[in-house]
Amino acid sequence: MQEEQEFIQQLLDPETRNQAFQRLIFEYQRPLYSQIRNIVLDHDDTDDVLQNTFIKIFQNLKNFKGDSKLFSWMYRIATNEALTFLKQKTRKSGICWEAIQNKVIENLEADIYFDGNEIQIKLQKAVAQLPAKQQLIFKMKYFEELKYEEISEILGTSIGGLKASYHIAVKKIEAFVTAN
Amino acid sequence: MKTFKLDNEPKIESGFKTPDHYFENFSSKVMEKMAEDEIKVIPIFQKRNYVYFAVAAVLVISLLVPAMYNWSTNSSEIDSVALENYITYQSNVNQYDLINNLGEEDIKNIKVNIAIEDKAIEDVLSLNSNLENLIVE
Repeated sequence: MQEEQEFIQQLLDPETRNQAFQRLIFEYQRPLYSQIRNIVLDHDDTDDVLQNTFIKIFQNLKNFKGDSKLFSWMYRIATNEALTFLKQKTRKSGICWEAIQNKVIENLEADIYFDGNEIQIKLQKAVAQLPAKQQLIFKMKYFEELKYEEISEILGTSIGGLKASYHIAVKKIEAFVTAN
Repeated sequence: MKTFKLDNEPKIESGFKTPDHYFENFSSKVMEKMAEDEIKVIPIFQKRNYVYFAVAAVLVISLLVPAMYNWSTNSSEIDSVALENYITYQSNVNQYDLINNLGEEDIKNIKVNIAIEDKAIEDVLSLNSNLENLIVE
């Protein structure tokens, strides 16, 4: 925590800011990429959203209160950016996200930035059948292996609620994969 | 059919991957974009400020012009209805004061020619039961 405070000070100090920010990007780019990619699915879209996320983090660092961990705060920004991106995308195309998502999942094998076998594709299809919130929780818990405490801090949902949602999501996924 | 159990399977990865060297170049891409945004943002903001000032100035002028016009052409004449109401209800000017203050010209202006035939006058008078009282008065 003490180390994190020092790091935040470096990020706020104009003299050390750029160097510290590059370190921040280097440390967090992969987990934040995964979080965004799991939501928006497409690599190019993820690239845009991830860049915007880091710019937003940079612009808002002075407002970071330290109530939560820097990691959770950044994850929250990334998640919000990704969800906002989805809203804009559906508004522009006039097609609901479920329909876009199903199309992307159907064409996963053709995606050059997807490298998965049959069971991976089947799991993606199963996840796509879940309600949006359950999808998010499942992806964060299963793919990204975040702890319930961390997910709770990022999404603002109680740990009990998260456990229940994850349990239901797993049951639905198992039923889908078994049936297909 | 074999029942699928997520916990029984080895961890299944999402399968998403990135282009080669994507993360190596990512931070410089973000830093470049931020520098570009900084250059872009300043002039747009200033330009917008000018636009806001121009719109505000036009609005103020357009609101001030009629107000100033009214102000400058405002005469000291009093609305006749207001004057009449004042005399009737507010002032202690009585009819004798009014008569004393009327000139020849004013009397001429308030004179109304009423063309009444003699027969009509006769009819009215004959039908009026208070005629005698009126004559006495």
